Amino acid sequence: MRRTRLLALSSLAMLVVAAGCGGGSSSSSSSGGPATTLDKTPVTIVLWDMWSGREAQPFKDALKRFQVKYPWITIKEEVQPNPPNDTFDPNLVNAINGGNPPDVAMPFGPDYVGQWCAGGLWQDLAPYMKADGMTINDFAPAAITYTNVGGKQCALPSLTDAFGLYYNKDMFAKAGIAGPPKTMDELMADAKKLTVRNPDGTIKVAGFVPLNQWEELGPGDLANAWDAKWFDSSGKPQLATDPGWAAAFMWQRQLIDWYGYDNIVKFFAANTNNEFNPSNAFENGKVAMMFDGEWRTAFIKGDKHPPLNYGTAPFPAASDHPEMYGPARVGGTIVGIPKGAKHPDQAWLLVKFLASDTTYLVQMANSVGNVPTTPASQSSPELSLPPQFDTFLHVWANPKSAFAPPTTPSGNGYANHLDNFEDAWQSGKISDADLHSQLATLDQQISNDLAQGAGP
Amino acid sequence: MLLFLSPWIFGFVVFTAGPMLLSLYYSFTHYDLISSPRWIGLDNYRYMIGKLTLNGQPNQGDPYFGTAVRNTIWIIVVGLPLRIVFAIATAMLLTRPKRGVNGYRTLFFMPSMAPTVGASLVFVYLFNPVTGPINQFLGHLGINGPLWFFDPTWAKPALVVLGLWGIGDAIVLYLAGLLNVPRDLYEAISVEGANAWQRFRYVTFPMLTPVIFFTLIIGIIDGFQYFDQAYVSATTTGNGVGSPQNSLLFYSVWLYEQAFTYFHMGYAAAMAWILFIATMVLTAILLLTSRRWVHYGGGLS
Repeated sequence: MRRTRLLALSSLAMLVVAAGCGGGSSSSSSSGGPATTLDKTPVTIVLWDMWSGREAQPFKDALKRFQVKYPWITIKEEVQPNPPNDTFDPNLVNAINGGNPPDVAMPFGPDYVGQWCAGGLWQDLAPYMKADGMTINDFAPAAITYTNVGGKQCALPSLTDAFGLYYNKDMFAKAGIAGPPKTMDELMADAKKLTVRNPDGTIKVAGFVPLNQWEELGPGDLANAWDAKWFDSSGKPQLATDPGWAAAFMWQRQLIDWYGYDNIVKFFAANTNNEFNPSNAFENGKVAMMFDGEWRTAFIKGDKHPPLNYGTAPFPAASDHPEMYGPARVGGTIVGIPKGAKHPDQAWLLVKFLASDTTYLVQMANSVGNVPTTPASQSSPELSLPPQFDTFLHVWANPKSAFAPPTTPSGNGYANHLDNFEDAWQSGKISDADLHSQLATLDQQISNDLAQGAGP
Repeated sequence: MLLFLSPWIFGFVVFTAGPMLLSLYYSFTHYDLISSPRWIGLDNYRYMIGKLTLNGQPNQGDPYFGTAVRNTIWIIVVGLPLRIVFAIATAMLLTRPKRGVNGYRTLFFMPSMAPTVGASLVFVYLFNPVTGPINQFLGHLGINGPLWFFDPTWAKPALVVLGLWGIGDAIVLYLAGLLNVPRDLYEAISVEGANAWQRFRYVTFPMLTPVIFFTLIIGIIDGFQYFDQAYVSATTTGNGVGSPQNSLLFYSVWLYEQAFTYFHMGYAAAMAWILFIATMVLTAILLLTSRRWVHYGGGLS
């Protein structure tokens, strides 16, 4: 009996406190912009993020510094499930519509930024940044490609992913290859040299798997080697007219044909779902080279597998595009303030911390192995990452690196059409002769899709 | 009376009629959940069939709508008859044994108690072209097994096998139907010298038609809503929703993608309404034609 009464009393007290908080925040946020003086009323803000598993504790530890800096702000961390697109935005939409969004949202990927930025899911951070003397140019040039849509700053980067080539040094030495391939021709030749087949022709060790579905490799990543662009300057899709795309597809077909489509699909099937577990093909010497993100360095260190002597390098470029040796796809965790956040001013303090606090970024980079996103954190002497990580610091800082597929106000669901095209192309359903006409159809589908985003 | 009905009326209005009317309204709008819905008339329906003008440009519309419809029809036309034949055959076998009858019946019913998602995961593993036991077994027989979930030709047949495995619920219905056939009908037709096929054709089958009719209607509705197996198997192979090459892109899967991946809520609502109308029309046709072939033993027909 006593217990219930106590419980009732305490919940009443909480209600009073909650009511007080609500009142306080609404007065501070009613101005619609950053507060001019720091409001130090104790407050709890809700943070949605996705740091789970081995990354959960390092994040909690790194976050403690915020509590020291702003002792009146308590963070209530709510870890969200990790769906296929690395974003919890669908849940966020529901939370906003339900009138109960978090104050700060930190999804692992910017896939929905474009679609939601214009739609108003994210608050514009520009006024806050201006008040604190920050600009998006404080980050690497690539940052703007996935956080800013049509001039609206919807989010800031907070650590990122960057992609490059991983190669197995022991296999290279055994095959008599001196160093990582720098051109796509060299990549092809090395891939063939490094491949080991079973007596029946199936693949025992693959030099390089050129399939669209293989782990992180997307069709855009191959085309990037030819500096192929999705859209022309007027925003029209140009996969048929930019020759880089056809060149990349032909390169891919040549290597697939050399393996034999059935053989390479069987190899894929045997290794399916091993990307993020210790049976990973590269980590276990079943693949000699792969296109992958910087996090693999941490995985290789942490996973249980035979010792791996590996190196990293920028992904090769086409011989007629030497300028593309260096830049690659980048983009990762972002942090922003959702529409309807109850404590936007305090939320901004956390956003700013997660995006720009050097100690935080360095600590997280060291523990989870993601690329630190500010110049200060990149050059910090505290950074203790394996030498293989340097490749990715340079990829992030490269002025030609960008997020892909490009963010548009209609989202980037249009990329699905390229995936479908790729599936058919890889399997040989589309002949070399039909490539151009099929790419023209693809352009039309992408245009239709973007029009649907704006239309029906 | 109204008082007794009121919980039902409340539930119907709030959870069924209300949302249905709202979705009908959304199907005429562009709606992404965040901005308020914008009226666009029939554009969503035009986008479906590719007869549309957007921003002054002709728009070929949704390139996968036809694919999704064709896949759905395939799984119904191929999968459903197989299910019915297989269920009747198994049920007939299950009327045979003299001892351990309940054991056999439990054994055949058990798969339908497995959750679809779990069963699909297991099937993807079993059908893995390299590491899966099915192709390994075929390999011992000297057969180079197909790529199953990695080949657009074999992905749907693999799902049909999954459907046949989990057929216990239909078997139970047919078993009940078979055990209800009066013995004297068999005795009468045997006296007339009928063979096994004639016994089935003139006694068993007519007496089973009400159950066949029921499983047909439920099967078609299930076919239109075919989702879990396709979604789970396509995503666990690492190829993504609808793969390989959109061979597992069923109507409900595509509707879900439009709604919850691309947030084209208006278009998804339009797709849902077309699905609803198709289901109603097909069910009505079946009901109307059923008088000709469904035999109710009660003598009402």
